[in-house]
Amino acid sequence: MQTPVTIPVPVLRLPRGPDGFSRGFAPDGRRAPLKPEVPQIQECPIAQESLESQEQRARAALRERYLRSLLAMVGHQVSFTLHEGVRVAAHFGATDLDVANFYVSQLQTPIGVQAEALLRCSDIISYTFKP
Amino acid sequence: MAMRQTPLTCSGHTRPVVDLAFSGITPYGYFLISACKGAGQHLPALSGQRYGKPMLRQGDTGDWIGTFLGHKGAVWGATLNKDASKAATAAADFTAKVWDAVSGDELMTLAHKHIVKTVDFTQDSNYLLTGGQDKLLRIYDLNKPEAEPKEISGHTSGIKKALWCSEDKQILSADDKTVRLWDHATMTEVKSLNFNMSVSSMEYIPEGEILVITYGRSIAFHSAVSLDPIKSFEAPATINSASLHPEKEFLVAGGEDFKLYKYDYNSGEELESYKGHFGPIHCVRFSPDGELYASGSEDGTLRLWQTVVGKTYGLWKCVLPEEDSAELAKPKLGFPETTEEELEEMTSENSDCIYSSTPDVKA
Repeated sequence: MQTPVTIPVPVLRLPRGPDGFSRGFAPDGRRAPLKPEVPQIQECPIAQESLESQEQRARAALRERYLRSLLAMVGHQVSFTLHEGVRVAAHFGATDLDVANFYVSQLQTPIGVQAEALLRCSDIISYTFKP
Repeated sequence: MAMRQTPLTCSGHTRPVVDLAFSGITPYGYFLISACKGAGQHLPALSGQRYGKPMLRQGDTGDWIGTFLGHKGAVWGATLNKDASKAATAAADFTAKVWDAVSGDELMTLAHKHIVKTVDFTQDSNYLLTGGQDKLLRIYDLNKPEAEPKEISGHTSGIKKALWCSEDKQILSADDKTVRLWDHATMTEVKSLNFNMSVSSMEYIPEGEILVITYGRSIAFHSAVSLDPIKSFEAPATINSASLHPEKEFLVAGGEDFKLYKYDYNSGEELESYKGHFGPIHCVRFSPDGELYASGSEDGTLRLWQTVVGKTYGLWKCVLPEEDSAELAKPKLGFPETTEEELEEMTSENSDCIYSSTPDVKA
């Protein structure tokens, strides 16, 4: 008695859940520009503008460096320090858009090697690699 | 090959999800708010008590955005204003609260004399309608929160649902066995409907002025202007909530048998039904673009379902087997240790036990 073969609709990923640390409403979320501004101490408007744009440029530069660091990691062996003193190593494959998950291969865990795995970034404390 | 529905499970609440609402379509997409009876599974340190925690999610993906913290009891009702800039909640702590839905901050606490069950914003977000166990409808001017609300009395049992209708000129309210229509300006009753069974839910569709009412196993459609009946369908089980598609082609309903039903609105034909929830379904709503519907259940989860199964939308990806090798057609859910045989076994029922077997990936 065969049931008709049907394919479940593929999904890109599961919906993200609460992060367990905060109540959310991320300051860098999609709608952040709509948030009510905290009143600033009065400063010379011109000086304040260039300070803001300086900060923004610094943020952009740091972000670009970070993204390039992720690019440089692709295909390399990376050591991850996770919670509870757990350390694992793997070949870095890719990250998702929000850097919420790392796709890795040959993940060496205390209970064996996983051919392919997704590491949740919220589980990672730090990681290191040699380019 | 036929495609099978893959519902997306949003967890975070561990207590029953009793109400959910979508916002309108905003430049940032649309949003979803859900209310639950007790504590969410996260943030135990921030609130030691078992309080309801309404959550805001991105409407097309179910991604969690934030949790509104402040209520000290089960949250029975939750709603968003049209542009999702504000949220309102109704709770067992005898208050309704208004929130900034961008920052998550509490804007107002509106004290009531009993459990509050329902909240609704006007189109312009200037007024909030509330109703609850004290049997009174209250209208708050959100620009003057300290002012006393206008009160409408007349219900003889606790109010379960109250909605603005006819461009906010009228109010529809449901208690245990009646649905009443009130004129906003004169605050008087215009018409009422009586039922033999408990009314479980009510939805108002502005385009076409349609009212969807569920009671027992019936899903009934009435004119929101005259309350005259249009049509009704019977479901196989007691229905707790139903929703009409924006284009009025389909309706979805769910209730005590844990299943979701999809019907053709014109013919009444049952088109699809889905198992998946592990408890009665308390609320179902179509998204404002009609591409998906959300269901909230006693099992503590919110699930998103595709209206047209197999379409690319949100997190669902359309894959045609002819386009690539057969490998691509298999679901890529990132479960490295699962063999093909195990996947087939797990997906043989129309349930989502795929997710429950690997708790660390569950959202």
